[in-house]
Amino acid sequence: MAKILITGAAGGQGHLVARLAAARGDEVVGVDRVPMAGFEDGTQVRAYVVDLMRRKFEDVVRHERPDAVVHLAFVRHFRTDLATRHKINVAGTRLLLDYCAEYGVRQLVVVSSAYAYGALPENPSYMHEDFALNVSRTYPEVRDIAEVDTLCSAFLWQHPEVRTAILRPVNTLGDSVHSAIGGYLKQSYVPTILGFDPMMQFLHEEDLARAILLSVERKLRGIFNVAGPGAVPLHVAIEQVGGTQVPLPEVALRPIVRRLFGFGLYPVPPGAIDFIKFPCTVSDERFRAATGFEPRWSLRDIFERFRTERERSAA
Amino acid sequence: MEPARHLRALPDGARAQRRLRTVDATRLPADASAGEAAISWLLDLAGRLAPGVFSDIDREIDAKLARLPSRVGEFGYDPWGFSPAAFRNPLRLLALLYRHYFRVELDGGHNFPAGRVLVIANHAGQLPADGAMLIAGSILDVEPPRLLRAMAEYWMPTLPFIGTMGCRVGAVVGTKQNCEDLLRRDEAVIAFPEGVRGLNKTWDKRYELQRFGLGFMRLALATDTPILPAVIVGSEEQAPALANLAPLARLIGAPAFPITPTFPFLGPLGLLPLPVKYHISFGAPLRFTGNPHDEDTIVERMVGEVRGAMMDLMERGLRDRRGVFF
Repeated sequence: MAKILITGAAGGQGHLVARLAAARGDEVVGVDRVPMAGFEDGTQVRAYVVDLMRRKFEDVVRHERPDAVVHLAFVRHFRTDLATRHKINVAGTRLLLDYCAEYGVRQLVVVSSAYAYGALPENPSYMHEDFALNVSRTYPEVRDIAEVDTLCSAFLWQHPEVRTAILRPVNTLGDSVHSAIGGYLKQSYVPTILGFDPMMQFLHEEDLARAILLSVERKLRGIFNVAGPGAVPLHVAIEQVGGTQVPLPEVALRPIVRRLFGFGLYPVPPGAIDFIKFPCTVSDERFRAATGFEPRWSLRDIFERFRTERERSAA
Repeated sequence: MEPARHLRALPDGARAQRRLRTVDATRLPADASAGEAAISWLLDLAGRLAPGVFSDIDREIDAKLARLPSRVGEFGYDPWGFSPAAFRNPLRLLALLYRHYFRVELDGGHNFPAGRVLVIANHAGQLPADGAMLIAGSILDVEPPRLLRAMAEYWMPTLPFIGTMGCRVGAVVGTKQNCEDLLRRDEAVIAFPEGVRGLNKTWDKRYELQRFGLGFMRLALATDTPILPAVIVGSEEQAPALANLAPLARLIGAPAFPITPTFPFLGPLGLLPLPVKYHISFGAPLRFTGNPHDEDTIVERMVGEVRGAMMDLMERGLRDRRGVFF
């Protein structure tokens, strides 16, 4: 079976992909800035504690010569300052792309995000992959998502010998991932914008892990949305995970979030508000057609699991 | 775990028809918002003023809603956000207006083709009551009932409550992509190619079809969709505009500022359309083939055919009606 190198392997999603790949019989190499937690089921992963921006990472790629690389090493939170976040995500990806071309990697899977399209009022209900990446128009703090995506799309055409798949998954929930949307839904009282209730898509982390490995297996090349089982209005998601919706007028919500974020008391900047105001929903027809992918987790299952986990951690 | 097939974002076009299922729309929505509260207040008022007025309407609506084809998932929403439960009260209000205010007469409902269809209608009367009555009529007086999906202005989602309500009753933002997606999935879409040119025209231009946009024809060609011409006679007289104060409209950012016998002199009450009688007629479906990206002159010729069919319908409607209010 293939040798797969996973960047960001200590993160929730990386850990999951590593376990799943090892279970399939792949040889797994994990790379992260922090040590990887062990696996309860005895999964064997060769782990390196190394920063993508350091010389040593090149040595790892040179020495390991992986067949496939799954790129998950992204800073998605705002606990580091914006400049550092941007540097790690964009410059880190640039280096990784160079190494992939240099050391004969045959398959690359980059996990981008459907957020790259941005949440705008004029968005069609189901955006296709060739839709413009507009996120920086209203949410400049996460423009690195669009930049990484663009960098990889250019690489996809410049280096046909490295089969590159760029996945743009929707809101991902699960026990291991720490997504902004997960943090948002975990609150007991969930602030929403009065009068707005956009459709949202959710995907379970295990289904995303399967989608990533399916991309490796099918030697996928191109850009693909990964959308999960469907869409519901935001208030349904909040209800289903056991939260209480607190609708606030936007004129109040925006300045409050801006101040709190400025003082480091709120996890996301005000630009994130657009994602609970306007839809950012995508069509996954292309991915399903290319891979035959079917999510195993229904929305009800995703929400129920989330609710159970959150009640358990509260107790 | 079994994947929720019926909730798939966009079921494949060719097999979509199989997946249509009926819904239980008798529950009230859990997410009643201010807009919905306003509607139920109006309904309450109507029920009090005319006791028993809803007994027939409700029975009819529930029967029709249950037979409305839609792709509603396990939480009661279709992939575009339409919710039969949230639609019920607005539809009761529309049905009340349809039966007792505009006393709509509808003919040609049998012309609706099965599957995808693009309903092309004239637009008049300052407020889009004609669109609302077409939507109500296609559920109440068309067999089998069809949900017409309105293509909303780009700014609809920016309006609190109204944007959400629009989405719940089946409207989508009027992008090319949305329209194509809906048609490819065999939905019925309604479009007014005159746009505000028709809606906000003044009294002297009544029953003159204004210039048609070409976008609808290009979409019909791209998706191989039959066009169903529809004409509403009556809406022109609901709010006869003597003048349109365009500079004032620009100042407040509205598409028009009409002066009618009742508006603005009677204040907000003047917005109420006069109780004219509506006649809706659907013509035979028209099918076109060609290159959706062809030159304007070629597409214009096809649009001209639709416009001609609508002019015939309009002439007949005007000839056959007994009066404006009866």
